Amino acid sequence: MILEKLSGSLKATLSKIAKAIFVDDKLVNELVKEIQRALLQADVNVNLVFELSNKIKERFLKEKQIPGISPREKLVKIVYEELARFLGEEKAEIKITKKPFKIMMVGLFGSGKTTTIGKLAKYYSKRGYKVAALGLDVHRPAAPDQLEQICKQIGTPCFIDKKEKNPLKIYKEFENLYNKYDVLLIDTAGRSAIDNDLINEIKNLNQEIKPDENLLVISADIGQAAFSQAKTFHEMCNVTGIIITKLDGTAKAGGSLSACAATNAKVKFIGVGEKADDIEIFNPQGFVSRLLGMGDLEALLEKAKEAITEEETEDIQERLQKGELSLIDLYEQMKAMRKMGPLSKVLEMVPGFGQVKMPKEMLEVQEEKLEKWKFIIDSMTKKELENPDSIDVPRIERIAKGAGVSTGDVRDLLKQYKQSKKLLKMLKGGNPEQIIKKFKGNLPKGFKF
Amino acid sequence: MFGFLKNKLKDAINKFSKKAEEEAEIEKPIRADEENPEMKKVRVAEESKGFLGLFKKKKTIEEEIKGSEVKTEGVGSEKEEAVKEESELKRPEEKGSFFSKLTEKITTKKISEEKFNELFEDLEMVLLENNVAVEVIDKIKEDLKVDLVNVPLKGKLNDLIKNSLKESLESVLRETKFDLINEIKNKQEKPYVIVFVGINGGGKTTTIAKLANLLIKNDLKCVLVAGDTFRAASIQQLEEYANNLKVKLIKHDYNSDPAAVAFDGVKYAKSHSLDVVLIDTAGRQHSNKNLMEEMKKIVKVVRPDLKIFVGESITGNDAIEQVREFNKAISIDSIILSKADIDEKGGTAISITYVSGKPILYIGTGQEYNNLEKFDKEKIIKTIF
Repeated sequence: MILEKLSGSLKATLSKIAKAIFVDDKLVNELVKEIQRALLQADVNVNLVFELSNKIKERFLKEKQIPGISPREKLVKIVYEELARFLGEEKAEIKITKKPFKIMMVGLFGSGKTTTIGKLAKYYSKRGYKVAALGLDVHRPAAPDQLEQICKQIGTPCFIDKKEKNPLKIYKEFENLYNKYDVLLIDTAGRSAIDNDLINEIKNLNQEIKPDENLLVISADIGQAAFSQAKTFHEMCNVTGIIITKLDGTAKAGGSLSACAATNAKVKFIGVGEKADDIEIFNPQGFVSRLLGMGDLEALLEKAKEAITEEETEDIQERLQKGELSLIDLYEQMKAMRKMGPLSKVLEMVPGFGQVKMPKEMLEVQEEKLEKWKFIIDSMTKKELENPDSIDVPRIERIAKGAGVSTGDVRDLLKQYKQSKKLLKMLKGGNPEQIIKKFKGNLPKGFKF
Repeated sequence: MFGFLKNKLKDAINKFSKKAEEEAEIEKPIRADEENPEMKKVRVAEESKGFLGLFKKKKTIEEEIKGSEVKTEGVGSEKEEAVKEESELKRPEEKGSFFSKLTEKITTKKISEEKFNELFEDLEMVLLENNVAVEVIDKIKEDLKVDLVNVPLKGKLNDLIKNSLKESLESVLRETKFDLINEIKNKQEKPYVIVFVGINGGGKTTTIAKLANLLIKNDLKCVLVAGDTFRAASIQQLEEYANNLKVKLIKHDYNSDPAAVAFDGVKYAKSHSLDVVLIDTAGRQHSNKNLMEEMKKIVKVVRPDLKIFVGESITGNDAIEQVREFNKAISIDSIILSKADIDEKGGTAISITYVSGKPILYIGTGQEYNNLEKFDKEKIIKTIF
């Protein structure tokens, strides 16, 4: 998962500090070295790593120990603050302040500019804005076709000219139409910092179009090149924000830190999958807390807000607190969870579960199971959903037939339901740590804390 | 591609050997003093100061290099050399004549493991800066350790370290005697089937066009297969390349089974007695189980003669993870590194070959059809050292 390894390494050292009675120079040096290594492994720029780790060390040794705060907490706070300082201290959302609000995407070849335009179009459309896309990539074969197909899938108007090879002319061709839209998303060709023609092209476009935002799209797996590339892009067209793509892989996206430092811009969005919905607002605090393994409550709430309405939440919560659970509740929960993304991602965001390492295979099985359970629940009558205990063998057989699954699958779901109900009873008045303790003996193999 | 690494490496080796020389000499008086604790403390203090100082020094040198890089390559590297040589000459003088004499003297000395770890730090930073993955640096470190730790060292340390490092890199970068053109021409039963796999946006489709261009120039007849049925306009992109190169393209609809398209492509090549089938596939994240299964199926169906992993030469530490997973899934045969023109650092090439144990065939060096260069291991070793 995102930054899993990085947090693992950092966590190990931080726990070393926690165990130590006195935090001396030697231990701080050790920690600083560990932080350096972890950040380097995550592809953060080498110079930046040193700047960062020196600052942490300096601050830790200089700042007075506040009574009531352990040296470990002090250190965590400093590390947190210093990392957040690079990424930005506050959540950086793009507010649509005028009409049309022009957002131009720039970046290296294959970083995901066009795909991201589709995601952004959907993101802003969902929030009630009228969105259009403009395709100015005249170099890569079939780039306009790609934008056209993506926009068609999500129902966004798209301005392209497959024959024109001058991007500025394309921009001017449709110029009197842009006023109809709240947001205009502009796709440009991929380019690198060494190609002079392409550099001049983007400089020129930037001067003529005067976008309200220039977003640099970078791939999560970019290495040490991130800093210098971001810097050149910034010089070319004044980068105002960064989007990290392909964060659904294993890359730790340390390049984003480098890009932030080089451009002084903040990360605005992150791409977390191939589908149009797979985009999230970047939340620096959340990113850093996830990085340090502290759980990312904020991002979870953000997604949950989209997934279920407030009344629904209250309703479910009320009943859950009473210890009641019907299959419909379980279904609603599952539906909400599905909207939040893959189970593995959701779990990582729950505070206290950041440290839980679910075996990968198990998570994959869970995803498949959820898919099946959806069909099973859809095949049940309302009565059965409300009172699952009434489901007997003939009913199980009927449901299995209706859902196209085996009777074992149906039994599996019923078992899960009973377990969830049991868990709920235990949850009443408990805190996560106690529950984890209670569960420790009963956890499946492969679980680690 | 390796220019940056070369200069940095030279500098680090010099530092390493110089420090090692100093250490070897300082250690003796301490032993004679029967472990004077105070002296030890002083030494530690000096070292930590030195470490920070070194970093600053490195920074300024880097800036100088960056300045000269803007100019044309040949002139640039000459200038860098000059900068390097100057600083090399200066350094012994700074330390006084005692040490400068020492470097010339043929001595026998030993470096302890603890000392080695300390000394390796600078070298490690250089490799990290140049995008070599941490895991691979650890391997290089082990190699050097065997050669240098607790072994009587004869001769100039500088050369010893350099040779040891060279050997280590030579073993990491795999042999590339494999000649694709000959391989295709020598295959008895036609066609020769090549599948291209990799992460999203790695440059698979562009690489196929470049390779097709190269094959055509060598009088080989090819067919392109649009096996990426997922990404929007991927088929159109390949179609444009096919039209430009005047080769046949086999395609199905979007969202159809890529294995089926690939199968049809091979069938077409057989019935038209073509030499090569080039199969494009969708980009996929190695962490996506279902997409990896889909790729396995393609390979199972067409049984390609060559499975090429297309990676980006700008990828950082994750390159290791990527190539490892792809290799685990379908056991790739070789690698093409795209976008080598973007970056001066060559670390990804080192990481990726080390982890997969597979050679790099070509590197992509630009946007034109002929921007595909053979990866020459000997030349690279020569460039670096």
